Order: sequence, then C-alpha cells, then structure tokens
Amino acid sequence: MNLADPSRLLPARVRDYLHELVIGRTHPLVLSFAPGWRLLGVAGDGAFHGLHGEDPTPLAAELRDLFTGLATDRDQSLPFVELGGSRPVHVHLVAGADRFHVLLLDAEDERQRQQVQQQLGNEAALAGLAQSRAIGQLKEIRGALERQHASLEEANAFKGALIATLSHEFRTPLTSIFGYLHLLERRHPEDGGLGELQAIRRNATYLFALAENLLEYARGESGAVPLDPARTELAVLVEDLEAMFRPLAEDKGLAFEVGLAAGSAPTAVLDGVRLRQVAINLVSNAVRYTHQGSVRARFDCDGSRLRLRVVDTGIGISEEFQASVFQPFNRGAQAGSKGAGLGLSIVRRLVAQMRGQLRLGSRIGEGSCFEVELPVEPGGGEPAAAAAHPGGRWCRGADVLVVDDDPDIAQLLEALLVDLGCRVRIAHDGAAALAEAARQPPDLLLIDVQLPGLSGNAAVFQLRARGYRGRIVTLSASATATAREAALHAGADHYLTKPLDIDAFLGVMERALRE
Amino acid sequence: MTAPSHKLCLLGDFGVGKTSLVARFVRSTFSERYLTTVGVKVDSKLVERGQLGPAKLVIWDIAGRDALDALGMNYLRGASALLLVADGTRESSLASALDLLMQSRSIVPRAVAAMAVNKLDLVDEWEVGPAVLMEIRRSLPVFETSALSGDGVEAAFADLAARLPA
Repeated sequence: MNLADPSRLLPARVRDYLHELVIGRTHPLVLSFAPGWRLLGVAGDGAFHGLHGEDPTPLAAELRDLFTGLATDRDQSLPFVELGGSRPVHVHLVAGADRFHVLLLDAEDERQRQQVQQQLGNEAALAGLAQSRAIGQLKEIRGALERQHASLEEANAFKGALIATLSHEFRTPLTSIFGYLHLLERRHPEDGGLGELQAIRRNATYLFALAENLLEYARGESGAVPLDPARTELAVLVEDLEAMFRPLAEDKGLAFEVGLAAGSAPTAVLDGVRLRQVAINLVSNAVRYTHQGSVRARFDCDGSRLRLRVVDTGIGISEEFQASVFQPFNRGAQAGSKGAGLGLSIVRRLVAQMRGQLRLGSRIGEGSCFEVELPVEPGGGEPAAAAAHPGGRWCRGADVLVVDDDPDIAQLLEALLVDLGCRVRIAHDGAAALAEAARQPPDLLLIDVQLPGLSGNAAVFQLRARGYRGRIVTLSASATATAREAALHAGADHYLTKPLDIDAFLGVMERALRE
Repeated sequence: MTAPSHKLCLLGDFGVGKTSLVARFVRSTFSERYLTTVGVKVDSKLVERGQLGPAKLVIWDIAGRDALDALGMNYLRGASALLLVADGTRESSLASALDLLMQSRSIVPRAVAAMAVNKLDLVDEWEVGPAVLMEIRRSLPVFETSALSGDGVEAAFADLAARLPA
C-alpha cells in the first residue's frame, strides 16, 4: 500500500470528482513570482477573482503588500483575507527553489458561515453587557431612591422634632402669661383695662391651642402615644371650656352654651387628655368661624358611649371641602380662615386613636355640626385631673420652696403662692434647692424638671434619698406619660404641666399640703 | 523612489471599532452597523511624514479577540506597528487590549505601538476614567478616538507612522 500518496489509489472517477469539487468550490488562482516579487505568470480562475483578462500587476502589488515583513522562502498560510474590500480568500504562499507561488482560494461561503456564528455570539455578549449595565444602573437608581427616602424620613423626623420642641418651648412663656393674667384679673377685676386683658387671654388661649395642636401633630408623625384611659369628670371639662371660650364668644356677641345633656353620666372612663383636645379644637373652631348667632356644645354619656355635639351658626363648609377640611394645614376649606389648619386634622386623628367616629354636617352660610362618638370603658378609676378648686381655703403660713431657673416663672409662682398666704423661698437650680432644703426643710417643694445642671428629678431623688418627707410637686413643660412617670418615680407626689391651669394648680397645692 | 511599506496591525476585543477606525482612516466613511470581522481585512494608505518622507501603511484589521490564538499570532508576524484598540464604554476591553499587547511582544518585540480608546462620541457613557489613561500614557501613547466623528483617528495612525523607519 502506498501511504505516501493515497490519492493515487483512488479510483480515477473519484479523483476527477474530488478535483471538480475542490476546484469548483475554491476557484484557485495562482500568481507565480521570482524573488523580489517579480511577476512571472498567472494561472487559474482569474475571472472569478476579478481579473477578467486585465493586467494582474495591481493584484500582484497587493499581494506583495500583504506579505510585507514576511519571508517568501517558506510556505505560509493566511486564512480569510479580504484584500481592499474584495471577496475573502485563503492565501497560501508556496515556496520553491527559484520562485514562489501565491495561491488564492475563495473563502466566501466559509466566511459567511463563520460570520453568522460569530456575529450571533458577539451580539449576544454585547447585549449581555448592556443588560448587566442596565441592571447596574437600575440598582444605582434604587440605591439613590433609598438614600433619598432615608434622607426624606430624616428630614421628616427632624421636622417633627422641631415642631415638638418649639411647641414644648411655648409652654413656659405661656405659663407666665396665664399666671400673670390670673393675678391681674384677680387683683383688678373692675379695672378699665379688662378688655385689653381679655384680648391677651384670647390670644394666649389661641396660642396655647396652637402649641398643643403642633405637639399632637408632631407626636402623630412619630407614632401614636398609647391611650391613657382614666375616669374623666365631664363637669370639669365643661367648666374649663366655659372659662376658656365664653369670654371669646361673648366678645363677638354670640350666644354660648356648653353643658352636659340631661341624664348624662357625670364621668366617663376614657383618655381625658385626648377628649379635652378634641373638645377644645371643635369649640375653638366653632367660635372662630361664627360671626353671629350661637355656638353650642353638649356632652352626653350613657356609660358605654360618649357623644359630643358642637353646633354653630357660622360660615359653614361647602360640600366639596367637607372631606379636605380634615387634611392637615388645609386653610382653604373655610372662607376667611386664619388658623394654621391643624385643628380638624388633629380631631380626626385623635378620634380615630380613641376608636371613635366623627361626623360633619354643614351648609354654607347656615353653620356646621360636628358630632363625635367615643367608646367609653366600663368601671371606675382615678380621676385624671384634680378637680377645679377655688383657691384660698388652704393652709396659710405653709413654707414653700420654689425651684425654677426662669425668673419670670419663679416670680409668678411666688406671687400666686404669696397671694394665697404661703411663705415662699426661691432657688434657681437643683444644687441650690438641695442646700436650701438641707438648711430648712420646706413644707412643700415646687420644682421644675428642666433645670440647668442637676435636673429637677435628680434633685427630688437626692432629697428623698436624704430623708426629706415633705410634699413635692413637680412642674414640667412635658405632658407625656413617660415624663410624669419619671417624676413620680423620682419621688414627687404630684405632677403638673405648663402652662399652668391655675385652678388645678391651687387644687393640687391644697391637697398636697393637706395630705 | 517608492514609499516603504510597513505592516500595521489593529488588535482589540470584538466590537471596539477596529474596522470602523480603518474605514474612517482609509476611506473617510462610517457605518453604524456592527458587522463582525472574520479573519483579517487588509487595506493600505500612503501617509506623509514630513522629513521622514511618505510611508505606505499596510493595515491589517484582525478579527476581534481578547487573547491571541495561533491564528492571531500568525496574522501578526512581520508587523512593524500595533494599534491597540479599546472601547471607552467597556472597561474590560482596555484590559484586553493591554493583554494583547503583552502577548504580541513575543511575536513582534520591536513593533511600535499606540493605544486608541475609541467611541469618544459616547464619552458620557465611558467606564474608562481619565486617571487610568494617564497611567497608561506613561508607557504607551494613548489617543481618545471616535470613528464616528473622526476625532483622534488621523493622529493615532500618524503617531505610529512617524515612529516607523524611512
């Protein structure tokens, strides 16, 4: 068997077939060169390669360029070569002793097949890249949104904290204003300046309500405070509303009536602080938006539900605004509105927190009727607040140590207490209070919580730890249950919040000194 | 006297714009259509080089790849100049171009080389940062190019041509 040249063993017909197959598919063209790229001759399918009997010199020059830098004395193979935009060819350099041949074989079909495959592969890779880039961008966008969301939450929390702090800060000066108003009204009831005093009270009351609403609003933003149900004296609430709003209503020439329905239970077990805020907001709103006629508020408790109905003959709310009137900072719902637009949104929130219902009926120019229905817990409980008490019936000559760093408040408390027959000593910080109490233990210590240096609670704790057995009343601008518990835990007997309700203050003082 | 011929090879990953750079440089054309190159496309252009005299660049546009195989090595033989091409919007293509340069040194150790970072028209989408290019410039001339607008293309080829012997 001749293995060196197996084609010789092939049948002649097969050899011819193969020859036709290869020649037919590759259209070979051979250019023969002498060393130095001198063209010796051309053979093969010139027409297929674009020669058409033309001068082969340009093609020879292109081939010479193609082999720039390459040796011509050994065989070489360059597959898939496109020369100046022509059809792709496989280029073979076949070296000989005194000449070399450059063989061109058509590669178009093969190139096309490979290109389709490569094109698909490359495009898929590029698409994958674009996809992963788009996913990356989406992740970045999501990250940016999350950061923005976090910063908005932070800004919102800051806003809530700012509102809470500001409204909290309002309480101290308001305590001064209400306290001195009380003194002025008490000392000079017949004074010709009473109208001016009423104007101050009216505006201070509004400022107080506003501060309370802002505080409630901020509290709502940071999460609702748990309900604090206690037996609430409805008569006390009625009296407070009377005292707060009758002067304002009468100033405007309105008929004003607040009361308990006939047959109503005198007390209700529910969150008294929230009920008070609801009532104050509704009555305040009614008085503000009624310019003639009347404002009437009525409580009715049947032991399981408490109903509050506030009816006015004011400007009314158009139907289209009756839903939006409960949105915060909505000032457009009631014509001529001058409020902050918080009151009704807070009423709605408080009623919802108390699992109650709120209804509104109103006609433009005829007036409005707000109805609140709240569930009441069965059973009794401690009254939430001390009953209003006329001052002046308690121990004269009692020794009271007042501790407050605000000189206006200290002076006011001193004036109120002296006015009612107490002997008063003043200290402006916790350390001074400890020293003063050690020198001469007072019958009663009235101390502010927020003092410079040693806090009021810390001073109370130390006093108790040193054996002080007198009564302690803590005064604070914070109305939260936590603050109250902290003060009582430190050793206080009573806890009062600013701004001071004078009657409540007097009641607590008497009880404390009597105990 | 005929101008000396020099073989210049373009190397780079697929889709970075090698064929487009050649089309811009040789024929002043540009096509948006991406058509992958199979094998090699050979073009030539006579360039003027001032006192050095003209040179004929025989430009081998070699099919894109991120590493040189035997075929790629074969195409590279005899090259006097290398233009490494990267796509500014694909940072990985820059690493591929540098890898190809390292590999090609075993075949053409003395070939002059430059880097074309292509697709300058899409500079807003570039992943390749200026600091990286500044670092590469310490060892290799770098040209920011756009085959679409033609920016930097002549300069890249001219730089290589100027470093080729007369």
